Amino acid sequence: MDGLHNWTLAAPEIFLAAAAMILLMIGVYRGERGADLVSSLCVASLGIAIFLVLRLEHGTAYHELFLVDAFTKMMKVLSLLAAGIAIVMSRSYFVLVGVWRFEFPVLVLLATLGMLVMISANDLMTLYLGLEMQSLALYVTAAFQRDSERSTEAGLKYFVLSSVASGMLLYGASLVYGFAGTTSFPGLARGFLAGDVATGAIIGLVFVLAGLVFKISAVPFHMWTPDVYEGAPTPVTALFSVAPKIAAMSLIVSVVMGPFRPLLAQWQQILVAVAVLSTIWGAIAALRQENIKRLMAYSSIANMGYVVLGLAAGTEEGVRSVVIYMIIYLAMNVGTFAVILSMRRKGVMVERISDLSGLAQRQPMMALALLLFMFSMAGIPPLAGFFAKLNVFLAAINAGLYVAATIAVLASVVGAYYYVRIVKVMYFDDPAEAFDRPVERDMAVVMLATALFVFPVFPVFQAPFMNGAQAAAKTFFSGR
Amino acid sequence: MTLAQFFTTHWLGHLIVMVAQCLAIVVPLLVAVAYMTYADRKIWAAIQLRRGPNVVGPFGLLQPFADGLKLVLKETIVPSGANKVLFVLAPMITFITALIAWAVVPFDDGWVVADINVGILYLFAISSLGVYGIMIAGWASNSKYAFLGALRSAAQMVSYEVSIGFVLITVLLCAGSLNLSAIVKAQEGGFWSWYWLPLFPMFIVFFISALAETNRTPFDLPMSEAELVAGFHTEYSAMTFGLFFLGEYANMILLSGMGAVLFLGGWYSPLPFAPFTWIPGVVWFALKIAVLLFVFSWTKGTVPRYRYDQLMRLGWKVFLPFSLLWVALTAAAIQLFGWGPG
Amino acid sequence: MIHALAFYVFAAVTVVSAFMVISARNPVHSVLYLILAFFNSAALFLLMGAEFIAMILVIVYVGAVAVLFLFVVMMLDINIAELRQGFLKYLPIGAAVGIALFAEILLALGAWSVSPVAAGSLRAKVSDVPNTEALGRLIYTDYMFLFQAAGMVLLIAMIGAIVLTLRTRPGVRRQKIAAQIGRRREEAVVLVKTRVGEGVSS
Repeated sequence: MDGLHNWTLAAPEIFLAAAAMILLMIGVYRGERGADLVSSLCVASLGIAIFLVLRLEHGTAYHELFLVDAFTKMMKVLSLLAAGIAIVMSRSYFVLVGVWRFEFPVLVLLATLGMLVMISANDLMTLYLGLEMQSLALYVTAAFQRDSERSTEAGLKYFVLSSVASGMLLYGASLVYGFAGTTSFPGLARGFLAGDVATGAIIGLVFVLAGLVFKISAVPFHMWTPDVYEGAPTPVTALFSVAPKIAAMSLIVSVVMGPFRPLLAQWQQILVAVAVLSTIWGAIAALRQENIKRLMAYSSIANMGYVVLGLAAGTEEGVRSVVIYMIIYLAMNVGTFAVILSMRRKGVMVERISDLSGLAQRQPMMALALLLFMFSMAGIPPLAGFFAKLNVFLAAINAGLYVAATIAVLASVVGAYYYVRIVKVMYFDDPAEAFDRPVERDMAVVMLATALFVFPVFPVFQAPFMNGAQAAAKTFFSGR
Repeated sequence: MTLAQFFTTHWLGHLIVMVAQCLAIVVPLLVAVAYMTYADRKIWAAIQLRRGPNVVGPFGLLQPFADGLKLVLKETIVPSGANKVLFVLAPMITFITALIAWAVVPFDDGWVVADINVGILYLFAISSLGVYGIMIAGWASNSKYAFLGALRSAAQMVSYEVSIGFVLITVLLCAGSLNLSAIVKAQEGGFWSWYWLPLFPMFIVFFISALAETNRTPFDLPMSEAELVAGFHTEYSAMTFGLFFLGEYANMILLSGMGAVLFLGGWYSPLPFAPFTWIPGVVWFALKIAVLLFVFSWTKGTVPRYRYDQLMRLGWKVFLPFSLLWVALTAAAIQLFGWGPG
Repeated sequence: MIHALAFYVFAAVTVVSAFMVISARNPVHSVLYLILAFFNSAALFLLMGAEFIAMILVIVYVGAVAVLFLFVVMMLDINIAELRQGFLKYLPIGAAVGIALFAEILLALGAWSVSPVAAGSLRAKVSDVPNTEALGRLIYTDYMFLFQAAGMVLLIAMIGAIVLTLRTRPGVRRQKIAAQIGRRREEAVVLVKTRVGEGVSS
């Protein structure tokens, strides 16, 4: 029974799968009334999964298909956190629009399961299955508000474009397999280290990267992002902007730093190009946006550009900067979406930037929180976002990517404009009609926690995060 | 080169053997189809206290040939709005798929044209193709009745194929092989050691799904004459209709053959001792098919037609969960008690 | 020789019918060509000795997927001319992408060198186990994890389909078999004695 050797390494995944099926049954038997119960049980299961992840030992399982190390554990905890927060934030929105059903938290749970499988992938086949598991569940959540034309359109667009990306990924994977003769990451690494690198394998690598870059919505595979972000129900957008990004990013890290590290010269150019284009396009295209969800879409494109830049360095420092960036990005984004989800007037969601006018006079605390998130995203010291960008730029410069780093810094200056514009609208424009009060308790808690993290928790207590990221990054360099 | 060498090594010899084998199956099969229609009508007549066909030949025995001759001599009418190529292709597909499946059916120990490893999958694959003839016919006719019939048929066949699939899985779990001869051999012995007894519920599910697969009453919605004139073959006449008719009966015989192989011990005699084992296996096999075919006709004579929603309900809400459960039970029993094959 | 001949026939039919899938004017014909392509691919698998995969291809793709596909396409009312309007406009871009991809493949094939790791697995190991059994032995041991993960993917697809399409409409009267059979005479029938010439007033 070689395949079952070390099977407990997948305990969080097995637990989540079992929990999802049980919760589905509970939901079916309790009907519409079960949504609240299922939702809180889902959050509880994600919490238990975090606990299980933390207790895992390191190693490979299932015939080397599955890998657990410090990096994967870190990323798993982050995506579980993101998914849990997304479920917590979704209730009031879906109740408001009248589609609060138990399937939603279960689907998020299943998507998270897919993310965990992706993160732990140690083989191209595991990678693909995890990716599909995650994507399938996410397509459905995007179209979850099925009576809204925009939501179904978002779901369909995401589905069609994402399928193309999956197709490219599979095509690339088959080329890699055809030329390297194995799909296992350690096997590929051994082959490439031995020095026989076929052109076909490099073409395959390009396609695999293209498929993965689509999932983090970096330029040139970003076209779907604004429409999907705008059309999907807002809590789903909140989920999209963090959890799948974390999973896909960690997948890119483990693919390029694992099996393809010997091909550094080849993928470095690609990633640098992706990073530069994303940061520029994310900054410029966001300038004209009026809808705050679309704005967040471009913001996430730009942010992913910075992360990819850190990875493109290809060094231990680079991977560390990726991990730190993802932690901070999670906090900033979740907080911003908690604010967006609280933007409702007389029980109707509003999502235009001008709706925020004069928020500082009506709801000073909420305005202050958003100010913190926006300044942090703009990279203004001493907020957390500044340290995220600083680490990325340092890693890029130390790896000799001077031009790319310079362009990215310039792009971040341009990008700062639209973040600051929101602050200006909130603090200096004439007050618009007030939002409904009080703010939902769930949202308030999320806002408070993330705002505190952005300032002062992270800037003051950096050491544990840095150490964690350092340990995660080290796994790729100390030989597993 | 001796004659034996010629037939076993030379390619021409191979070809002749192959054609002979095909004929040896197809000709008796077509005769069987002809007399199946006769038997069918006689049985319904008996159920309805009539006499049935009794004019052409002694006891009406030549009736099927008279009918066949009539169909051949009539003019084939292709409706002007029809898609001509597909319209003619559809009956052929139905007829051909009903015939080619017989290649893997073992009539007796070693009496099989192609003794392939995945015989049961082949049978399942071919029987799932029958639906194309009907769908293409319904679409190509460019007639609403035919089209509605085709849609019903597609939905129905796909639904019941699922439970047939699970039935097949239980059988091959017990037999440990996908080869039909091996499945029959796993049931060696008297009627008490055939699979119909341990897998009795699956046998019933199989039979009812077979009725649905062949569009027979109570599942003959694709051609229900009360609503759809004649369903998918409304626009067909003469030999094109004849091919549908032949295909339908050949399919019934095929599914009965499948039932005999999977559940009724194929060519084995029900009582495994002297006077019965003298009778050749192929006769037992034919008798088993005949018994199943009788039940087909019997059902048609006595059961009213299902409504569409009832049909779907039975397929998806009753058979599917039930057969799924039974697969799990069978697998568990085999694993726990070591009843499995080796 | 017959083997090679069969290969070329099946391969040629596969390619031609695959081309017809995208070029046929009528969508129903496209689906039928698609089915033909599936069939021939199954035959190609058979030639390679992968009989299990061949049969599963026919059962799953031809017997189930394509039937549903045909089912839907037959009911669509597509205006082909309208669909083809953009064809010429996008032709140059499509052609450029196609040529680039084709060139890449040529490049890759030109530099064909198989890594020493791959050389070992180029030829399938010949063994006396039927390939259904061989596949089963692999899937349920080494690739257990992937098998289960694939199962989860299908489960998600099922949940998704139900979530997006199942609607419970109010006011629909459904058949409740248990309730219908469980009904008793007293609940359903009232006997009323009527006098001649008066009738029954509710």
